[in-house]
Amino acid sequence: MTTIPSDALPVPTVAAVDVEPAPARRTGGTSLTSWLRPSRWLPLTLMIVVLALLWWWGSEQLPYLLPPLSAVGQALADNPGFYLVNAWVTLQEALIGLAIAFVTSFILAIAVSEVPILRRAIMPIAVVLNVTPLVAIAPALVVAFGFGPEPKLIVTALICFFPILINVSIGLRSVPAPVMQFYSTIRASRLELLWHVRIPSSLPFLFAALKIVFPLSVVGAVVAEMFAPGAAEGLGTAIKLASANNKLAVVYASIFVLALLGSALLAIVTAVERRVLHWHESHAPAKG
Amino acid sequence: MNTRRTPVPGIVIDGVRKTYGSGDRALVALGGVDLTIPAGRFVSIIGPSGCGKSTLLRAIAGLEEPDAGTVSVFGATPDEACAAKMVGLVPQAPALLPWKNVLQNVTLPHRVNRRAERRRPTSAGTADASAAPDLEAMLREVGLGDALHKLPAQLSGGMQQRVAIVRAFGLRPDVLLMDEPFSALDEFTRETLQEHLLDLWDEYNTTVVFVTHSVTEAVRLSDTVVIMAPRPGRIVDVVDIDLPRPRGAAQIKTDAFHHYEDFIRERLQEAWRSPASAAA
Repeated sequence: MTTIPSDALPVPTVAAVDVEPAPARRTGGTSLTSWLRPSRWLPLTLMIVVLALLWWWGSEQLPYLLPPLSAVGQALADNPGFYLVNAWVTLQEALIGLAIAFVTSFILAIAVSEVPILRRAIMPIAVVLNVTPLVAIAPALVVAFGFGPEPKLIVTALICFFPILINVSIGLRSVPAPVMQFYSTIRASRLELLWHVRIPSSLPFLFAALKIVFPLSVVGAVVAEMFAPGAAEGLGTAIKLASANNKLAVVYASIFVLALLGSALLAIVTAVERRVLHWHESHAPAKG
Repeated sequence: MNTRRTPVPGIVIDGVRKTYGSGDRALVALGGVDLTIPAGRFVSIIGPSGCGKSTLLRAIAGLEEPDAGTVSVFGATPDEACAAKMVGLVPQAPALLPWKNVLQNVTLPHRVNRRAERRRPTSAGTADASAAPDLEAMLREVGLGDALHKLPAQLSGGMQQRVAIVRAFGLRPDVLLMDEPFSALDEFTRETLQEHLLDLWDEYNTTVVFVTHSVTEAVRLSDTVVIMAPRPGRIVDVVDIDLPRPRGAAQIKTDAFHHYEDFIRERLQEAWRSPASAAA
């Protein structure tokens, strides 16, 4: 790769950023007012400009591999309904798969954390399956489960299943020993311990898994669509068809929509986490 | 003088043995310990690390099953006593639930194991176990009035430990077990908490078993100090502290107080120098 022409970069402003006095403390993460400060928005803006320039340069050099951004924008603007419909299909697959994974893995995590024999039987397998790239198994699963929405939901659910199972089963057992001792001396029942102590303790672990798994669910849905023989809709299908027809602009427009979808899902989990885990160290209010 | 010296046996520990591991590497945590603690007494257990004092505490709480011997808590087994919520525990770490505020942390123990209230023998220990104590008032009493709705993370270590003490006292337990509750606190906070603890003890007439490393703390708080030694874990002496209460800051400076401190320190050192049996 060659370097970009240096005169294209507004270098002096970078120095100006460094001169800006550093904010003394974190002000509540992403509060809107903090975005008014140049030190907050300028680095990202610069990075986007740099990437756009790189893209522009790349599309000039390799027009058959990279469509110009304007063409991608045009593809989006020409037919927004197409992307919305397909995104909606993919999103549904992702969310339903996610819901199936969430319910089943959470229940299994509770079973596994309460019954040691189950834990010893299941957890090693779960760990191995978690590190197996399920994307590689996806084609086989799609073939096995045939047409219709089922294979997509199964692939998505499988991809999301193990991170939740592993994290939650660890989280349920993460209660500090002194807490368990106190509630043992007053003989809280297993159900009471689970409800009042173990499940709340596992929530930080659950959210760590959800932050991985929400965007991952889109990956699962797209991969399943790409391999599903009878798929007619969804962004994965759109990408497959468009690349077969050499419509690069449509491919990249779909990828762009997928990126937005994944980011939106991640933003939702993060926002929910902020509310639910307000007590946790990562969001704890200052001592006072 | 103290009026709580009734001869009612609160806790009776009879020949309790506990060994961890086996063979050459076996550690005799408790080698046949006998101890009787009358109801309403404040008893401290002091000794070096590994002398089995925490094991003894866990045996009373039914968290540890002895290999031999019996523990009786107001005539019941530790298991029965715990099932009836007669035993409260203040662990070394405050062990609060970080997602619940101070008041919720203190009230939750009342909402679990509700059947306990019915199982609880009325004859045992505390005078008025039927009435639910006013937990908010108790929290105010120990200076947590402004912190009722704060989360544990917003409190200092000393305040958290105060919540843990109120949580245990709020159960109106017949027996309160405290495992080095103040060891992580600074000197000043520790003294304040000792006073709060004595106030609550005075009010609720609970039998307290208090494990500590600090000789001064043991002498200041206790009716009786039990001195333990390790390998095997055993009781080497039981010292009654015959000092008038309340024991304020002035008390600590008296000759009588120092006399007790010196005596206990000496006994601890003797026990350390001459182990009962050769170390494994």
